[in-house]
Amino acid sequence: MKISLDWLSDFVDWTDETAVLAERLTAAGLNVEGIEQINKTFPGVVVARVLEREKHPDADRLSLCKVDDGTGAPVQVVCGAPNVRAGLTVLFARVGAELPGDLRIKKSKIRGIESFGMICSATELDLGIDGAGIIELETKLPSGTPADELFGFKDTVLEVEVTPNRPDWLSHVGVAREVAAIYGTKMSLPPVFNAVQGGESLGMKVRVEHYADCGRYTAWGLQRVKIAPSPRWMQNRLRAIGARPINNVVDITNYVMFEMGQPLHAFDRGQLAGNAITVRRAPKNTSVQTLDGQTREVEAGTLMVCDEKGPVALAGVMGLGNSEVSEKTTEVLLESAFFNPSLVRRASRRMGLISESSYRFERVADWDMVERAALRALQLLQEHAGARIVPDWADRHDPDHRPADPLPLRVWQVNRLLGTAVNTGQVAQILQRLGLKVQPMGNAESISAGAVNMMVHVPSHRRDLLLEVDLIEEIARIHGLDQLTGRGGYRAPGGAVRRQPDVVRERLREWLSACGYAEIVTSSFMESGDHDKLALAADDARRATLAVVNPRHGGDTQLRTVLAPSALVVSRRNLNAGATPPLRFFQINRVFRPGQPLGREIRHADEALLPAEHEYVQVAVAGWRDTGLGGLPCDLLEIRGTVEALAGHLRLPLVLQPGADEPWLDAGASWRVCTADGRVVGVAGRVAPAVLAAFDVDGPVALAEVRLDDLDLTPAAARFVPFTRFPAVKRDLSLLVPSGVAFGQIQDTVTEVGGELLELSELFDIYRGKGVPEGNAAFGIRLKFRSGTGSLKGETVDAAIGEILAALKDRWAIETRGL
Amino acid sequence: MQEMIDRLRSEASAAIAAAGDDAALEAVRVAVLGRKGSLTGLLRGLKDLDDTARREAGAALNVLKEELSAAIEARVAVLGGGTPAASSGYDLTLPGHAPAPAGSRHPLLTVLENICDIFHGMGFSRDEGPEVELDYYNFTALNFPDDHPARDIQDTFYFNEKVLLRTQTSPVQVRMMERREPPLACIFPGRVYRNENADASHSSEFFQVEGLVVDRAVSMADLKDTVDTFVKNFFGASAPTRFRPHYFPFTEPSVEVDMQCILCGGKGCGVCKQSGWLEIMGAGMVHPNVFKSAGYPDDRYTGFAFGMGIDRIAMLKYGITDIRLLYENDLRFLNQFRGVQ
Ligand SMILES: [Zn+2]
Repeated sequence: MKISLDWLSDFVDWTDETAVLAERLTAAGLNVEGIEQINKTFPGVVVARVLEREKHPDADRLSLCKVDDGTGAPVQVVCGAPNVRAGLTVLFARVGAELPGDLRIKKSKIRGIESFGMICSATELDLGIDGAGIIELETKLPSGTPADELFGFKDTVLEVEVTPNRPDWLSHVGVAREVAAIYGTKMSLPPVFNAVQGGESLGMKVRVEHYADCGRYTAWGLQRVKIAPSPRWMQNRLRAIGARPINNVVDITNYVMFEMGQPLHAFDRGQLAGNAITVRRAPKNTSVQTLDGQTREVEAGTLMVCDEKGPVALAGVMGLGNSEVSEKTTEVLLESAFFNPSLVRRASRRMGLISESSYRFERVADWDMVERAALRALQLLQEHAGARIVPDWADRHDPDHRPADPLPLRVWQVNRLLGTAVNTGQVAQILQRLGLKVQPMGNAESISAGAVNMMVHVPSHRRDLLLEVDLIEEIARIHGLDQLTGRGGYRAPGGAVRRQPDVVRERLREWLSACGYAEIVTSSFMESGDHDKLALAADDARRATLAVVNPRHGGDTQLRTVLAPSALVVSRRNLNAGATPPLRFFQINRVFRPGQPLGREIRHADEALLPAEHEYVQVAVAGWRDTGLGGLPCDLLEIRGTVEALAGHLRLPLVLQPGADEPWLDAGASWRVCTADGRVVGVAGRVAPAVLAAFDVDGPVALAEVRLDDLDLTPAAARFVPFTRFPAVKRDLSLLVPSGVAFGQIQDTVTEVGGELLELSELFDIYRGKGVPEGNAAFGIRLKFRSGTGSLKGETVDAAIGEILAALKDRWAIETRGL
Repeated sequence: MQEMIDRLRSEASAAIAAAGDDAALEAVRVAVLGRKGSLTGLLRGLKDLDDTARREAGAALNVLKEELSAAIEARVAVLGGGTPAASSGYDLTLPGHAPAPAGSRHPLLTVLENICDIFHGMGFSRDEGPEVELDYYNFTALNFPDDHPARDIQDTFYFNEKVLLRTQTSPVQVRMMERREPPLACIFPGRVYRNENADASHSSEFFQVEGLVVDRAVSMADLKDTVDTFVKNFFGASAPTRFRPHYFPFTEPSVEVDMQCILCGGKGCGVCKQSGWLEIMGAGMVHPNVFKSAGYPDDRYTGFAFGMGIDRIAMLKYGITDIRLLYENDLRFLNQFRGVQ
């Protein structure tokens, strides 16, 4: 909303300069977002008379004129306008004049003839008046009169942010009230037409079908209207606040709306059928043409203003073309009404048509302003459209309408809520400054929980004040929020509690970033083809998604049910950007699973409609093509190592078991992440090549995902176990392992047979090639033996190793290799 | 004599410091400490002095000799950083090997954690709520009437009439109050959504931290103190704050909180749009209708709530100019936040 200070000064005085005024308005809650200086001036442009006009000797379309610009000697000028002729009074830009658009007038030669200036059109001066030719002024004006005296205009415009609770600030009068309250001065309302009753009939009946839809409808008659441009000062003000002048009648209705906040509508009475206006709901879907020239579909139930043939306006939103005021209009029916805010809002939403009128009605217009605004418009129409006011008007209003009940106010509650120590007198004074009527109650000094100190009467333009607390906000605003001082901040009794999920997430972030992973934040939306790209089965439950019904233009609509695609997209992006592999990422994020159990306490029946939100930690390694131990890809080894170390770091009993449930993981290169009791809580592995191709990722990606919200995150308790202090004996074995035997099988056997003495077995090498028979691999395995009862003898260890080797040979046909 | 020693000390020290390479340094060494060097010359001249003077000057010259030798050696180390250490023959300029390569935490979540930590220190407990919410919790229970323009402030993604993506972390307030009786001091961080097109300062997904305090007599003055304490702790300086009256349906009185611009100190700059102030949060006293939604008896409690956008604060803190950088996950961006706590 824009507020012209020139306009505002009609109603209220203030002494501060603009910047201070802006600051004080902002401090009162009317946030001034910008200050614009308007200075329309036309240096070097003057009124001039065309003395002679003849055709340019060398150009048919050009005229050669002599003008009197008030300096005495006639000035020769070439003019291209078709309407230039001797005797006209025009605006003339002398040599040296500056025109809008940084145009400086110079002496020039046009088709061989010298020209000393320019006769101006309205467009060239940016006057906002239509018309191709030069401006024709009144002949009375003396030559040499500066154009500034006629068209110059200075104003300062505030761009203000009006919150939805303050529709009264959508007008100059409303802002004037605030200025008056801030400065403790009085404000005045604009002059109105003094309605003369009786004698003649309006000749128009008004019917309101339901007062709930339209609490009040008034209609006023004007005759002998002369449609013309509105007065220049009005045009200037409208333009200053960003409105486009059209003609005097339309401009006046708009002017009054911006002035007083009440939308008005002017019908061409001549175009209205019959002698009755009815406000009613549209019985069925219909199509209308609004006065902006658009055809619009109107749903049944939309509130309409109708004449005896049909709709003439979408109530409170916009008039229809069929009854629009035009140049030919001579009789006007002026509407000023109070329409139901919700109905206007719904109609405006459905049609995607937000007008200045609907914007105000849906925020609740001022009931008391309905009549006053109409009278203001009548006064202006009489003065500036030569209109005769019919001394009769139609008024239908809800007989049950009552002014708002007065609000009880407890000064005790004011101080309790604000932390202030104001007394009854101060409170009353602040409220009175805001134009609220205060009626003292009980003992003014009695400030206690139960004591109502005053009843406050709220005027119709402050229908946002519904509760005691709303009055307290007014007191806070005017008392000054910078006056508040407290006790050093609220401290919760008992202190804060940290929830385990927050602790675990924080530890994960810290640990994973220290391990080389970069944390990413990815969108909760997925792309529509992601499930297909992941090769999810047709009946995979994760194909059930929630989809937004009103997506932003071109945006994704479905909430993700799988986290994997986001890691692939981030990998692709960074690989394509030339980052040096291996790239490591992690994220802790949610997926949204409709129809899954919520896993939380339900208080609202509709919560069954909500999806479960599963939280995962995901780690990913991208672009790493090297291989490591046993020829396994390094990324695969790292992802396994990361999950195991992560479980260790969090003291969670997670184990990896070879196997795959995910269609998007390579079946031969993936694990299930399981809890101690075998429940699968995650996956780890390499993304299948087809999936990588589908996501256009140029390089391998290994990733792991573990669901956190379903996991007992309590870390295993730490408890000291005594250890033996006798020395250990280490032995390295080199085993010839036939293909098809897995390290896990060897280790299980070794552990089982090694018994209590075997403290540790670990793999340190796998070798294939020269010296190892085809189809076999040489495994280097280190064993560590220790006894709890004494130092181990060599023969004891030898015997244990003998048993282990025998078992390996027996069960897996594994031979020893000489070391 | 003492004068000559002092002059030599300052001249020689300057020459050593000015030596740009090994050759220049060697020239200085020869000129001062060499057989025909100036210090050597002075030592030779000692023999012409009487006993006491010789002893004093001799001691002073030896101290100077030690000093200059040490200075030359130190300069050698600076200039010859690439020269292998003598004893082992190792090239000690080879890159080291970290136990793990450098990773990073996302700056957005770092800021979110920082904020939560500060409030944790003030006794606030942390909780969270669903991102897919009921219209009821996101709007109705927060005193947004149906069909009311207040709903326009937040363009909402809807799944159906009753289900939406939360536009704010405020619904968690109601969920918390439904579950627990005051006193409450809570902080609710999380992701929120607005149905708008992305540009340099808007993202359809972003993060907020919401705070809620409810007790028997919590006041707006307490809110102001709490906000000031937070600002002082987070921004590290006591930047003044101001409360501007505003409108949120779920608080009354409502305010927007501005902090004096940390970049220009309030003088006005591009970041604060010349106003000298930066808007950092919305806040207010919990509206009685919200207590009603929570099932609290009328008038028993008062409370305050506040909410701030993390993205904007992170952008301010790290000088990030485009919000989209926070969601692109480009390593050239993320790597800049290695080690940032
Ligand atoms: Zn600044």
